[in-house]
Amino acid sequence: MSVVGDLIVLLVNGLQTGAIYVLLAIGLSIILGTLKFVNFAHGALFVVGAYAGLLITQEISISNGKLAEWGYPTLGLEWGFFAALVIVPVFVFVVGLAMERFVARPFYDRPDTDQILVTFGLAIVVQEVIHALIGPRTYGYEVPTSAFGLLPMTGPIGVPLSDVTINVWRLWVIAITAALVIAVYAIVEYTDFGLVVKAGTRDPEMVRLLGIKITRPYLVMFGIGAALAGIAGVVGGPLQNINPEIGMTILVPAFLTVVIGGVGSIRGAVLGGTLIGMVQVTLISLGTLGVGGFQVNFTPWAQVGIYALAVVVLLTRPQGLLGSEEVSA
Amino acid sequence: MSDEVNSAEAGEPADVDRSPSLYDRWNAVREREVTTAVITFLAVFLAPLALVVVPEMLGVPTQYIWYRSLVTLALIWGIFAVGYDLLLGFTGLLSFGHAIFWGTAAYAAGILSANVTGSPIAMILVGTTTAVLFAWVIGWISLRRGGIYFAILTLAFGQMIYYVFLSPLGWLTGGENGFNEVAVDPLLGFLPLGAEVAVVPDALVGTWMYVFVGLATVLAVVVANRILNSPYGVVLRAIRENEQRAEFVGLNVWRYKLMAFVISGAFAGVAGSLYVVQRSFVPIENTLNWTISGEVVIMTVLGGVGSLFGPLLGAGVYMYVANIVSGMPGIGDFWHMILGLVFVAVVVVLPDGIWGGLGWIRERVADALGGDDR
Repeated sequence: MSVVGDLIVLLVNGLQTGAIYVLLAIGLSIILGTLKFVNFAHGALFVVGAYAGLLITQEISISNGKLAEWGYPTLGLEWGFFAALVIVPVFVFVVGLAMERFVARPFYDRPDTDQILVTFGLAIVVQEVIHALIGPRTYGYEVPTSAFGLLPMTGPIGVPLSDVTINVWRLWVIAITAALVIAVYAIVEYTDFGLVVKAGTRDPEMVRLLGIKITRPYLVMFGIGAALAGIAGVVGGPLQNINPEIGMTILVPAFLTVVIGGVGSIRGAVLGGTLIGMVQVTLISLGTLGVGGFQVNFTPWAQVGIYALAVVVLLTRPQGLLGSEEVSA
Repeated sequence: MSDEVNSAEAGEPADVDRSPSLYDRWNAVREREVTTAVITFLAVFLAPLALVVVPEMLGVPTQYIWYRSLVTLALIWGIFAVGYDLLLGFTGLLSFGHAIFWGTAAYAAGILSANVTGSPIAMILVGTTTAVLFAWVIGWISLRRGGIYFAILTLAFGQMIYYVFLSPLGWLTGGENGFNEVAVDPLLGFLPLGAEVAVVPDALVGTWMYVFVGLATVLAVVVANRILNSPYGVVLRAIRENEQRAEFVGLNVWRYKLMAFVISGAFAGVAGSLYVVQRSFVPIENTLNWTISGEVVIMTVLGGVGSLFGPLLGAGVYMYVANIVSGMPGIGDFWHMILGLVFVAVVVVLPDGIWGGLGWIRERVADALGGDDR
């Protein structure tokens, strides 16, 4: 394969890996930046989204837990995947609203540590509920043929790319993420709603004094963050195995994305996610290389690399690459 | 404290002219370090009797009673949780990376036993030293940020170390399969840990392993108690209450926090090494996986943060639910969910945990004994 072809595949894979982190990180980041609430159950919302998506898309039975006993091993809607892309975010949005109202709100005035502890406990409970309902098995998404396949690239201007193939779903993930990010960015930057939320970040007391009821924007913001995590579960689902434990596994890179990009910054989350995705994918595809006379296999270091990246960023720029000092309390 | 009062009779304060109530006397006795040591000693060495022997004699069905090695394991986790509470309960730092210290100590102890010496004491020394070194470096970096960032960073470091030990260091650690060449020698060269203690009726303490772990637990509690009641412990509590004010008073808050982190790392190291001595195997999922960090958080919070005995109680409850309730028909499959719900409930309504919940009983007793000055 040509070098250009390699680079294109690398770029697509890196962006796609990063895209999932971006979708999760935006929710974490705005909730942390505006509501000052740290949500260790955000990964659980990803899992809820992934399983809800499974129920909607799968034609065959997916459950060996309580759902099967009750006779609902699958919903298997007609439009499958595309139905999931619409229904799941709405569902997880509602879950997010409930979470804000009953879990987050009573904890706004309590110490950070209590917020972390209660959401951590909640993450365990959600994981175990899914365990009971659907069972501990690992599932793979059934791939809708219309959106999956390999896309052979042919060089339009004589670039030798005819041997490059790209997983179409990866392009879809990147496109969906880009559209959602732009939408959320527009909402936060250019609407009155976004103005209130941003003002609330700066000085909630003043916003209240101006007669604006800030609880509702907070509620909606939490819901949007949750919905994004739910979509991440659906679009990320086909690219990995789904089991109840992945919520916590994916939470850590999502948090690192926030830390690298800077809390409260949507652009920071995009930058952080892209960096993490690229580092991870690059290390995996480097394989074994000769470095100074030694043969070094880089693939096992892929998971380590993203943490090293976060440490370097944190030591040199503690507020994150695009974060401002004031919201990083 | 303990130097002022030497004889057992000198329990009452000299400058109180009214005759001391039973409660005052109890308080004076309670504040002595020896009392803590004796209570812990009795609790640890009567635990097998209360948890295993008596239920067996009463004919409780086997599936509901503890077994001996589980009591040992609960004590090991108890040491881990006591050290963790020094950080969370007394300094106010929530770490999600303590599996690092438990796990690296376990690997150091295991690798030492396979290659150099299998002496349990050497394993604990080397394991703890390793944990302290890791705690120093990771604390030094993570403590640059406070609050939630600290929690996230320690969690991230935990994952990082996990992946390093899993794959790049797989040739040394055995990777996914764990390190299975652990070779534990007899204690002090002549006491095989697995053997029954012949001197006392073996129904009581069981094996030398239990004696060894039990003594380590007593020592850990005494050391924790000593730290907490020293000026050092007072500074840590001051930091927990109001970090800024502690800073203004002129304390080097960062240094105290780092030391608290290292000390709790050392406790985790002792516990991690003991875990390998007991199991003769270093499974990566039970040593370095982030779930281990989560478990020690649950135990500590469940038992009661900010108390000396709460974490031990929490470790006991957790081990019981995870190993015995999990086998019970009907609710067994849901043990993790039940624990999670109880954990959430404790965080929401009972911030001092089960031990704190027992507090009102203690207060009732105190009232009955004339402790009306509270």
